[in-house]
This record gives sequence, structure tokens and C-alpha cells, in this order.
Amino acid sequence: MKRLFDCVFNGSDQMYAKAAADLDAAIAKYGPEHSVMLPDTAFNCAIILEYCNIQVKTLADLKAAMDGTIKEWMTKKERTEDIFKSGLATAMAAQVIEAVKYVEDTQPYKGEYHGHMTDAEVRELGLPLVTKDIPGFVVLIGPAPSAEEARDIIKGYQARGIFVFLIGGIIEQAKRMGISMGFKVRIVEVGPDIWSVSHVVDLVMRAAMIFGNIQPGDYWGMNTYTLERIMAFVNAYTPVDDLTVACGAGAIALGFPVITNEDEPLWKVPKSLIIQPNTQDWIETSLEARDIKLKVTAMDIPIAFNTAFEGEIIRRGDMQFEAYGSRTDCFELVVSKDPREIEDHKITVIGPDFDHLYDVLTELGSEPIYEPGASIQLAYIAEVGGKNMQSDFESVFERKFHSWLNCLEGVMHTGQRDQIRIRVSKSAFEQGFRARHIGEVLYAKLKSEYDTVVDKVQITVITDPTECTKLRNELAIPIYNKRDDRLSKLTDESVDEFYTCTLCQSFSPSHVCIVTPERLGLCGAVSWLDAKATNQLNPNGPCQIVSKEGCVDETIGVWPDVDRAVNEYSHGALEKVSLYSLFQDPMTSCGCFECICGMEPATMGVVIVNREYAGSTPLGMSFAELASMTGGGQQTPGFMGHGKHFIASKKFMRAEGGIARIVWMPSKLKEEVRTRLDKSAFELYGIENFTDMICDETIAPTADELEAMIEYLTEKGHPVFGLEPFDI
Amino acid sequence: MDQEFKLTSVEQMEADQERLHQTAQQVGVDTWQDRVKNQMPHCGFGEKGICCRICAMGPCRITPKAPKGICGATADAIAGRNYLRMAAGGAATHSDHGRECAWKLHDASEDGYYHVTDSTKLLKLAKEWGVETKGRDIYDIAHDVANISINEYGKPTGYQRWVDRATKERQEVWAREEILPRAVDREVVTAMHMTHMGNTADPEALVRQSLRCGMADGWGGSMTGTEMSDIMYGTPMPHDTEGNLGVMELDQVNIVCHGHDPAVSEMIIRYAEDPEMIKRARSVGAKGINVVGLCCTGNEMMMRHKIKMAGNFLQQEAVILTGVCDAIVVDVQCIFPNIGPVSECFHTKFYTTSPIARIPLSEYLPITSENAGQVAEKIVKEAIDNFPNRDPGKIFIPEHKHIASVGYSCEGIKSRLDSVTNSHLDVVDTYKPLIECIKSGVIRGAVAMVGCNNPKVRPDYSHIEIMKKLLENDIVIVATGCAAQAASKAGLLDKRAKVYCGEGLRRVCTLADIPPVLHMGSCVDISRMMLLVTGIAKDWGVDTTQIPVVGCAPEWMSEKAVSIANYVVATGIDTYLGIDPLVGGSPAMMELITKGTKKMVGAGYVINTDPEALVQSIIDGIEEKRKALGI
Repeated sequence: MKRLFDCVFNGSDQMYAKAAADLDAAIAKYGPEHSVMLPDTAFNCAIILEYCNIQVKTLADLKAAMDGTIKEWMTKKERTEDIFKSGLATAMAAQVIEAVKYVEDTQPYKGEYHGHMTDAEVRELGLPLVTKDIPGFVVLIGPAPSAEEARDIIKGYQARGIFVFLIGGIIEQAKRMGISMGFKVRIVEVGPDIWSVSHVVDLVMRAAMIFGNIQPGDYWGMNTYTLERIMAFVNAYTPVDDLTVACGAGAIALGFPVITNEDEPLWKVPKSLIIQPNTQDWIETSLEARDIKLKVTAMDIPIAFNTAFEGEIIRRGDMQFEAYGSRTDCFELVVSKDPREIEDHKITVIGPDFDHLYDVLTELGSEPIYEPGASIQLAYIAEVGGKNMQSDFESVFERKFHSWLNCLEGVMHTGQRDQIRIRVSKSAFEQGFRARHIGEVLYAKLKSEYDTVVDKVQITVITDPTECTKLRNELAIPIYNKRDDRLSKLTDESVDEFYTCTLCQSFSPSHVCIVTPERLGLCGAVSWLDAKATNQLNPNGPCQIVSKEGCVDETIGVWPDVDRAVNEYSHGALEKVSLYSLFQDPMTSCGCFECICGMEPATMGVVIVNREYAGSTPLGMSFAELASMTGGGQQTPGFMGHGKHFIASKKFMRAEGGIARIVWMPSKLKEEVRTRLDKSAFELYGIENFTDMICDETIAPTADELEAMIEYLTEKGHPVFGLEPFDI
Repeated sequence: MDQEFKLTSVEQMEADQERLHQTAQQVGVDTWQDRVKNQMPHCGFGEKGICCRICAMGPCRITPKAPKGICGATADAIAGRNYLRMAAGGAATHSDHGRECAWKLHDASEDGYYHVTDSTKLLKLAKEWGVETKGRDIYDIAHDVANISINEYGKPTGYQRWVDRATKERQEVWAREEILPRAVDREVVTAMHMTHMGNTADPEALVRQSLRCGMADGWGGSMTGTEMSDIMYGTPMPHDTEGNLGVMELDQVNIVCHGHDPAVSEMIIRYAEDPEMIKRARSVGAKGINVVGLCCTGNEMMMRHKIKMAGNFLQQEAVILTGVCDAIVVDVQCIFPNIGPVSECFHTKFYTTSPIARIPLSEYLPITSENAGQVAEKIVKEAIDNFPNRDPGKIFIPEHKHIASVGYSCEGIKSRLDSVTNSHLDVVDTYKPLIECIKSGVIRGAVAMVGCNNPKVRPDYSHIEIMKKLLENDIVIVATGCAAQAASKAGLLDKRAKVYCGEGLRRVCTLADIPPVLHMGSCVDISRMMLLVTGIAKDWGVDTTQIPVVGCAPEWMSEKAVSIANYVVATGIDTYLGIDPLVGGSPAMMELITKGTKKMVGAGYVINTDPEALVQSIIDGIEEKRKALGI
């Protein structure tokens, strides 16, 4: 029986030989100074960056890594350290092979495989990882014994929320079985060969650097972070050759167990190298091996419920029916009520159920207005009661309906309030999805996620058109108006306390958000009301009260208790934070911010980029590159991560003159914030249509068009030119 | 991060000891440091084992000019007899301790002071021994089991019933080599008889009886001590406590328990937790009662309770020198008679409790099954009342202490191993996960670190340096006795100490949530180690002598250690010694204990007084065993 150590060392040698050959060929063709750049990342060749501490720019840099650390780590001593290092060196050699492909062609996989993942994609993972909506990652290396089995395991992982990376023959199998793949649906067809696994390892490295502030060269920092915080594992189908075993050693070095059905004799290692001949049992075996416990909410519904389906799109042709608030009267609503008036778990359906929409309407003698694919009216009301329930929480809960209903396989939800749009697929309908199931989902989620506030819940689902219209006008709209009134009065001045948010600390241990009514969490997911509710739900949890007593500087936003809180909850990493300044002790970022703003020296303004925008900016940097300037709980004056909502706040960099500093935003972002931003600008400066004065990528897509931007701003009379230069 | 975790160095421990030694000098009392100097140089004949004072014709000493004693005994005969007598002394000591435990179980009752705590273990043993359990009162079963084990000490025929637990291969080897242990008392008596003037002069026969006498200890008396204690006081399971002199509390009543047999300390713990006693302590200005352990009594206490460990063998005077020891209670073994004179210089009350260990300047309160509670209550009360008598001018408590994760009995180890199994594939309650780690090479092997402190070498230094080197090489350590306490003082029982390991062991520690050094108990609990290696061998499907596990006693000093070394070797485990076994004057004896026993039982001693060289030979030995297994 071949010893495990010998398999690893042999596999490492094979990977090294392939990498050396590919690299030498590329150098022969392009010369050593030819540039090497994986797309849209500020952490080029992150595995090599981390372990060799080399910032790869050229083929010569790759050569230096190969001749240096990669070779040095392929020792053959009989200690676990040597197989771990050999495994990581194998991953680096694999990265060399893949990086060379991107030298040949910026799109080497031609859309057939995903290959390299961008920084924006990595950052998208931040929040779902923190909330455990993505409880883990699996790397499936195959082919599976059959295409059907490949489908079953992929769907099985997807149904459990596990992010799936596919490598090798299993990708063809998945395509054959019609599985839709892509980063959004959390099934990524990485590449056809084992060396493409380097893209997954590269993503892991960047996640640790972005969210955990792990520095290049910090071997133990990285390997401890991945072991403790990144819940990944590998499933490798037989035959597992030495090359795969060597990559597996790298995975295990990072703390990711490998589960295989290899029937050749292979040494087992508890919780690390697991032989499970029964591939049908891989999912459960793997989850147990990586200690992944799934958030399970029992609900009586006929279709799957999982965050993996959140990004699912239901096309017109696939839908059974649609409820669209822009066209007909639809709405969703949470109202608080005296618990004594609520019968817990009562679900009432007013109007015909989804399978009787047509019959009932015919019986009534009217024209059959319903046919499959047609538009219906739909509303649902959750009445919530509990000793600690507050009416402020109503909208917090209501905003959650969007993601909860989207988690249903075959149900799509967009919008909010009376602007909702819901599509139910034919397949969901055929599996028995009916009106009361909407109630079941809302009931189960309200009770499980807000258990300390919510004691009782009853749900009413309305499909009756008359009733929908009536309740919308008489019940819902007055409540929405009242809430808007309350929200507009909810400013940083109007409340007595702020909150911390340390939800991200499982990934970014030294970052603390201070959440105020006007400055919600930089991820965009935690508003002041959310934080307040979270505090009520769990008084010892991530959202702690920060008092506003003894304000030191109202303009810059300095409070003693804010400083105390960031100091305490960053475990001493931060001493102070000012809430309204970009330069004086700006708030830190975890890495999963919605937007980043950065100083633009020519205009003495700032550029704001959102995560979705992939292009460059007048600063010469993309979102990914700008984002790498901050994150991981670091304070970087001049750069700051924040939520979209904050952009229109009168507190936005108030210390430096406020929103008048904004000189550039992607056009889509401008549209998103336009209404509120214009309103604030008018109230602050008396300027109308301020958003139009802000430059965007249609005028200045890169740093080369700086002149054009200045010209544009001047022409529009942008107020930034009336401000003092930054005091830096 | 973990990397910030720091061990306490031997230098720091020595500085603490030195500071307390200064206190001793100030109060005018000697400590072991002074006495070591006074005893230097040691008698060369004694060191080489070639001084015979067995009869009154001598003492005879072997020199080149006088190669034989008056009776004609050669260096081989003299060294061999001395060696066997040491083994017999050790076997007698451990075994008598075990017998006392069996008697306590014999006397146990629902309303008495001693109870059955771990009935599962009792029922398992009853079943093993064919004692009827169905429908019977647990105490009736306990008494039957106790009677059987007491009878093992003097049974006229047959062998120790505990040996049935060994691997089949071991039992065959023992039968073949005629070292299956008979009644415990018989083996000690035989040893004394054989070494009397005019009896055995053949060194091989003396070595063989040493093995057999050791077997009567390890697979007899010691195993009795461990099993009976577990039944009465509970089988240790993993939990955290603390160790080193820093556990002495300035504002609490400190009661130090010292010795080996937990019968006394268990009672002290119970009464110190009594709310009435705590109230009494508060009434004299103390914040509470802090019972701490020393030596193997300390090990017994920390393994089963959250009791903290104040120190090992060479710190028994130091605990009193802190000036805050309000009472020191001793049972049996390893107790310096000098505790009397040191206590006299402080307010410390010194109690002896066993007819086996009567010491001048102590208050003698013999403890029995009938009076144990009353005696303990009296001691705790007097210790409390003694709290105000401290002399503030004499107080110095060293700051060093470490968290210690302890309680790794075989059951405790298996519980941690169960935690890394996968319920979709694996069975539980086996050593298989550990075996998989060893077979794959993630862990290279295991070393049982045992034994005493000995000022002949730099105390604790060998223990700690050898452990650190082994850990770096992915070799897991199980430890007992003063070796375990050295690890505790250094911080090696803290789970964070995994940063001192090679990556394989470090990962294993993380996944199984264990420290890299597993504390298995007191010196009688080396019987646990015998069951551990046996269990591993059985689950592996090989004999104990094949698995890459060895024993190491780098600082041994007592006769018990000689007995232990003999049964460990007899069990097929190579034993690495850092102190010469006092037979150097006989090349034949040296040959027999290093290579001769290999031929008999497949294992022997490796002796090297240089710890660096010793640990390298351990690593090489383990790798050789791996090679032989093809792993």
C-alpha cells in the first residue's frame, strides 16, 4: 500500500513539472517581462501573493515563485508540515498553470467555464457567509458515477445552501442534466482540469484577506482563518490520482476535509481524509466532517426553501401566474396587534386558492379573466404580537419577506409594500404550492428569526380582487404613510442612541459598524431599526446600545461612547471613529460594503462606486481595486466603505462639506439615489437636480478622461469648486 | 491569536523556586536544594549498584582489587539483587496503595463516607469477573468485586486476573517467559527471598523476577488502585483546571493535599465545599477555601475535580514557603520528612493520616472508613481557624500558573476520539481515529511520559525539553505523575500549547479539542497507559510491542519507578530512562536490562542522561517501529 506521504509528494512533483513547462513556454513566447493579470482583482494570483509574498505582475514574478517558495515547500520529509506545505505549493503551481492561460487570452475559457472569480464576486459572499445563509462551500471533483448522480448531489448541496464549485467531468454531466450554473445561483463550473482548483483556493485567499485582513506572508494567520472560519470541503470521485491527492493535501492544510470514494487503498485521517464508498451519503458525511450545521426551519410546504434559490429568475414562459403591484392592487404588510387578539399559526385565505382562481371566477359568471401566466391580485398580512413587539419593528420584518419568499424554489419576489411583484412557476404550482403556503413560510420565519419579540403570528392571504383593493386603500396605505412620516423624522438627532453591529466579526474580527438612523450598516443590510430589533432580540448579541451622551463634535460626529464602543468591540484595534468624516478617524469596513468612496485629488471631491459596477473610475481604479484599499477593520483616511442609503444623508462626509463633494458615480447608482439625493442637496444648498451635476462613466469612464470630468463639473456649476481643498 | 500563547520556562520556574528558597534561608530552615549540596558527591558504589549490605558480614563493595563480596557475590549478583529489591519495594508500595483502595470499596456503603460513584465502571468490572449483577444492590456487587480484588493479593494459586485484559500475544509471551504474575504479595515476598544472602546470584533470574514483580504491580496492584478509585470517586473525564504555585490564593484558606491515595483528599474536598465551612472561612476574613493538590494526590484530585495543582514532587517544601499554606495533609509516599521542620517555621498545620507514613512534627490523625469524614472536617476547620495566624512578612506567592486541560483516562481519551468520528462511517468507543492518524503519518507515534523529579538532573528541564521536542515531531504525549505536572506547570496541558506542535499534531489537537499532552493521572494510573496501549494494539490487530508507542522516565527516582519500568517493558513497550538505574557496576546487568529483556519480552531500556540525545533516540525508535510496520 502506497504511503499517503508518497502520494502527496509524487502529485506535487507532477504539478510542478506541468507548471514549469507551461511557464517556460510562455516566457519563451512572450518574454519574462510580459504582464500577468487575472481579471478584476486587486490581489493578483492571491495564493502566490499569500504564501510567497510576491505581488505578481509579470511572468518573471511567477518564475521567481516557482524557483523560490514553491520549490522550497516541496520537501519530502516525513512530517505533516511537509505534506501540508507540499499541498499548498501544489496549489501555487496550479495557479501558475492557470495564470499562464490568462496571459494567452483574457478569456481563456470562452464562457464555457467560469475560471477566475472577480473581487466583486468574492465580496458578494461576505454577508451570506456571516448570516450563514451560505453555510459552506463544496468543491466537487469528478465525474460522478452517473450524470443523474451528479445532478442529485449538486441539487442536494444547493438545496442546503452550500455553495458548489465544480471541477472536471462533473461539469459536463451537470450541463447534460440541464443544471443552470453561474456565480449568482451558487453553482460555479470552475474548470475542466484539476489545476483549475487554484481559482477556488485563490477565492479563499482573497476572502481571508478582504474580510479577515490577513496579510500576505502570514502563513499561520491564513491557515488558522481558513480552518476556523471558511467552512469549505472537497468531494473527489474515484479515480483519485496523486495529483488530486496533492491538491487534497493543500485543502486539508487549509482545514478543508476531503471526502472520496476512492477504492484503491488510501490512508484515512479522521475529519480530514474520509473514505465514503457510498456516494449517496456524501452530503451528510461531508457536512458532519466539516461541522456544518444547517439552519433548519420546519415548515409545511411542498417545495424547497433555501437561500440558494434567492437569485432564481422565473421567466414569463415558466410561470403559472403573476401578481404585480404596479398593475393591480397588491400589497404585503406587517401589523402589530395585541397578542390576545391573535390566534397563533392561524392562516386564513380570503378568496379562491391558486388552483381555483379560474373556476371561481367562472362560477361568478364573469368572463374568465384568469389563465395560466396571467396576472392576479394578491396580498398578505402578518399580524404579529408579543410583549416586546414594537411598531417600529413592523417594517423591519416586512422587508424580510422579500428574501424569505425568494428562498422558495419556483417563487420570485421583488419590490416591497404595494409595489410587490410575485411570480409562481408552473413547476411550483404542480408540486402543490398554494396560497396558505405563503402563510406557512411567513409564519415559520417570523417565529424562528424573531422569537424573542414575536410571541404570536397569524397570517391572512388574500386573492379576492375586491378585498385586495379595499384593504390596500383602507388598511395598508394609511400605515405606509404613517411609517414614512416616522422615518423622515428619524434622524441621527432624533434618537437617543446608536447601535454597534459586529455581525461580521466571525469573518472580520476587528471591524465594528456604528449604526445610526442616517448611516445604516455599510453592507446595506442593517438599518438603525434592524439594529434596534436585533438588540431587543438578543441583548448580548452583535448590536449593542451606544449612548449619545456628551457629544464632542456634532459636525464631525464624535461621541465618547462611540469611541469606547469601537475600542471595546474591536478588541483594542481601533481607538476612535468619527461618524461623519472621511479623513478624521473614518469608520472601518469589514469588506462586504455596498459602496466605496475615495478621494479624487484633482477636484477635491470624492468618487463613489457600488459593488455591481465592474468598470474603472476617474481614480484609475475599479471597485475591486478601491475596495482593497480598505476593509478588514482598517482605518484608511480618504477611503471609506458605506451603504447606498448613506449617500443621500446630510451627514455624508459632513466634516468635509457633505454631499457637495460627490463628483462621480456610476449612472445606475445615480438613478438609485437620485430622489433622496436631490432632496438633501436642495435642503442643504438650495441646489435643484444636484444628481445631474455629478459626473458618471458616460463622460469619464477612466482616469484618462479626468479633463472631461472637470469640464463637465465646471459646466454644470458643481458646488465642489466652491469648497475648500481637503485638509490633509 | 494562538501564537501569543507562551509557555512558562524552566528558568522562570527556577526563579520562583529560588525566591522561595530565600524565604527558607531567612526563616532558618533547609530545603532540598541545600541538602543536595550536602550530599554531594554521592557514594560511587551505591550509584553503580555494587555495594552490598544485605548481610552483616559487609557492607561489601566491589572494586578492581576486590571483585567479589565476602560470600563470593560478584558485581552482577550484587547489582542484580539491589535492582530486584528496588523493583520489589516499588511493587509493594503501589500495590499496597491499591489494596487500601480495594478495602475502601469493601467498606463502601450508601450512608458511609465512601460511595460507589461510577456504577457503570463497577458493573463492567463485575461482568468481566463473573460477579452476578442482575437484581442486586450496587453495594453488594461492589463488596463482591472488592473482595475479589483483595484476594488477588494473597491468592495461593493462579495468576493476577487483570492480565486477561492484555493482548493474546502478550499473555503468551508472559506465559512463555514465566513472568505471569502470581499473587501480588507472593511476588514481593519471592523477590525478598531471592535476594536474601545466599540465594539467587544469576543476574538473568533476578531481572526476570524484576519483570514479574513489576507485572504484579502494573497488571495487579496499580490496576486495582486505579479501578477501585474510579469506581468510588468517578472516572476522570476531560475538563479544565490550573497548575503551578500561582494557584495558592492570598485571600483564601489554602489546604494542600499531598501523597498518593485519594481516600483522604476526597474527604477534604467534600468538607471544604460544605456551605457551613465556607461560612466559617468568611467569618475569619477569607474569601473561601482553596484546596490544592501536590504530587500524585494532586493528580488524583485534579483529574476528577476542578481542584488546582500546586506543584510536583520538588515543590512540596515550596508550597509551605509561600507563607499561605494553612494546612498540609499527607497520606502516603513521596512525602519529605522535612515538611515537619519547614511547617514549624510557619503557621502551617501538618497532618499525617496513614500508619504507613508516620512523620515527626506532624499531627497524626489516622483515617479509616469509619472516621474519614470526621477527620476531614476537623482538618478543614482547623485550617480555617489557622488562616488569621499567617505572618504577612513571610508571604510570597509566585505568579506563574497555567490552565490545564486534564482528565484523559482511557474513557476520556475515547470520548475525544469519538468526537472526530463520522457517524455515517465509523463506530465509536475505539482507538481507531488515533490509529488512523498514526498509520497515515499525521502523528508519528505516542510517548508515555512518566516518573518523578530528580535533582540529579535539572528538575523539570528534561521533562519539558523532551516533551517539546516530541511535540514538534508530531508525537503525541500521554503523561502521569510528576511528568504530567511538569507539563502542567510549563503550560503544555493548555490546549493553546498546540502551537508548539508540528502541524500534524497541532491539527489533531484542534479537531479533537485536546491539549498536546494528555494527563492520564497519578503514578498508579500508568496502569491506564497499559490499557491504552493494549486497546490500541487490539484495535490495530497487532501486539503492543509493534505499535510506535514508547515510555520515557527522564527524571525517575523512586523504587516505584523501577517497578513501573519493569512492567512497561514486560508489556512490550521500550522505556527510555534519563537516570542511570543504579546497576552500572555490572556490565551483565546493563546488557540484560537494555538488550536481554528485548529477547524475553520484545522491549528494553534505552538509557541516556543527556535529554537531547535521549529524545532523539526516542524519535528514532518510533520511526524504526513505523518502518517495521510499513507505514
